[in-house]
Amino acid sequence: MLQVNGLNVFYGAIQALNDVTLEVQEGEVVSIIGSNGAGKSTLLRSISGLNRPRTGEIKFLDETIVGVSADKIVDKGISQSPEGRRIFTNMTVRENLQLGAFSRKDNEIESDLEKVMDRFPRVRERLKQSAGTLSGGEQQMLAICRALMSNPKLLLLDEPSMGLAPNLVTEIFSIIKELNDEGTTILLVEQNAHRALEVAHRAYVLETGKVVLSGDGSDLLEDDRVKEYYLGG
Amino acid sequence: MNPAVEIQKPSLLKFWGSRVISAIAAIAFCAGIQSLGGPLADNEFLYRIIVLSGLYVTLAVSLNLINGITGQFSIGHAAFYQVGAYTAGYLTVRMFSTQQIGEVPWLILMCLVGAAAAAITGLIVGLPSLRLKGDYLAIVTLGFGEIIRIIAINIDEVGGAYGLSIVPKIQSPWLIWALAILCIAVCRNLLKTAHGLPFLAVREDEVASSAMGVSTTKIKVTAFVIGSSFAGAAGALLAHYEAFITPDMFKMEVSFIVLTMVVIGGTGSITGSTVAALALFLLPEWLRGLKEANGDALVVSAPQLLGATLAIIAYIALARRVRDHYHGKPIQKAGFQFGVAAASLVLFFLFKAVFAQIGGLAGHEGWEINSLRMAIFAAVLIVIMLLRPQGVFGHHEFSWAWLKSLFVKKKQEAS
Repeated sequence: MLQVNGLNVFYGAIQALNDVTLEVQEGEVVSIIGSNGAGKSTLLRSISGLNRPRTGEIKFLDETIVGVSADKIVDKGISQSPEGRRIFTNMTVRENLQLGAFSRKDNEIESDLEKVMDRFPRVRERLKQSAGTLSGGEQQMLAICRALMSNPKLLLLDEPSMGLAPNLVTEIFSIIKELNDEGTTILLVEQNAHRALEVAHRAYVLETGKVVLSGDGSDLLEDDRVKEYYLGG
Repeated sequence: MNPAVEIQKPSLLKFWGSRVISAIAAIAFCAGIQSLGGPLADNEFLYRIIVLSGLYVTLAVSLNLINGITGQFSIGHAAFYQVGAYTAGYLTVRMFSTQQIGEVPWLILMCLVGAAAAAITGLIVGLPSLRLKGDYLAIVTLGFGEIIRIIAINIDEVGGAYGLSIVPKIQSPWLIWALAILCIAVCRNLLKTAHGLPFLAVREDEVASSAMGVSTTKIKVTAFVIGSSFAGAAGALLAHYEAFITPDMFKMEVSFIVLTMVVIGGTGSITGSTVAALALFLLPEWLRGLKEANGDALVVSAPQLLGATLAIIAYIALARRVRDHYHGKPIQKAGFQFGVAAASLVLFFLFKAVFAQIGGLAGHEGWEINSLRMAIFAAVLIVIMLLRPQGVFGHHEFSWAWLKSLFVKKKQEAS
């Protein structure tokens, strides 16, 4: 579904991604783990068109999307829940969700809103509230809801567990699992390696902009290097 | 179905009701402005500023669309005002006599021409520069404003530095206010309907908006073009009202005053921009005309000025203290604020009396109000910004529903 080949991304003179190659198959959850500054978010930003790679190829459904503007990429079916949630805090929850469906022109938006709200009852309770008054966990759920509202073929999640209490992290990951069971393909970027590998079919380990390891999620959980560096020995 | 997510379709009566009321109010208002000319015939100055304040409402509300609603910091609004004024003015000079069109239809046509010229200019400036953010955009628009003014100075065809006189003079007070109301209506509808969401989204977070599929450049340029076209139409009306335009009428300070109106009113609030435009345009003019009881120009004595300055400083300190540290019911807080204002007034008389005892000050001849006009203007801005940095209206808007709620509540209290 998504192929990234030899991707090189620079911020000025600094190379953030070095020859990254990865692949996401339809129906998978693929996790990318790595520490701060490894280039995880840069990778997601490049896929959704917010960063422009210097060289390399990104193909989505056999169509190259390098150089396509971010709003057109949303039209093609890739939706991102950005790092740090970035919800529109001065708008109501409903307006946030309407903006999530901004790229759509069909008449199913209201019924999709219903479906998404059925999955996130806590967000439904807050529809009329200003999004800034939501708790951290609710804001993260809203960010995911908003990304889902564009009815994406591929959902990119950038650190959904950031800054959340452990029980909320559990909740978020069980939602990720459910979404995937219902057919949404997910590319997940996480620092919480243990959870990310548990939920993933396959995973990649990024270090200073390079893919250093890749494999099945369960295999990587057993890998000695991953255990040492990312799972706390 | 959960009641919270039902699609809210307002009843037809409710939907059209408020629109019809608004439209009737707008027409009545324009007619009122037009007919004011009769009773105010012997006070031409007053009528003139009432009419011209409409142009500032248009400028402030249209800049609010760019600065307040879409969050792009543009400070070159006078340039678009000028482009509209010069384009329309020049065309009238060149072509009006050869056409068989009535004066008012021609003026409306010139408004459209001025708006189009400003919109095209806005597009040319906006496309490259709206990729810049914050301070950088401000600098580009500032520079652009100066460039337009200097170009006009250097083209002899439009009068150069001397200016362009426009024949015939077409004064249409109702049209000036109709434009202001149209501008308010367009911005309000943009803000309150689904079309406005992406504009607000761009103001809140550009990255998140583009991740939602909003083309941020397109939205920013759209806001810029709509805003500048209204400024251009206002310029066309100004040119024909004054019948004489010079590059000096479009100096940087015009841009800054309009920007001040937007900020003082509350960035993003259309109501705020409108009220602030009226208040800030009328305040200096009102001060200019202040007279003593005997008809002489009002003179402010040195003790009065010093007393007022100290009283204002005391007022700011006290009012801020109440604002930040008193947490009672809103009505009590308002009561306290009122008390602070009253106390400051008492302080003013006290300080004045004390200063009057000082020989050197009491002997000073004082200043005419006219020369203190802009200093008072500045003091008002400082007081507002210190006491209410979010602007007088913040993000709030006037609406019929709000008016109704006031009314209904009062009725309930009465019964």
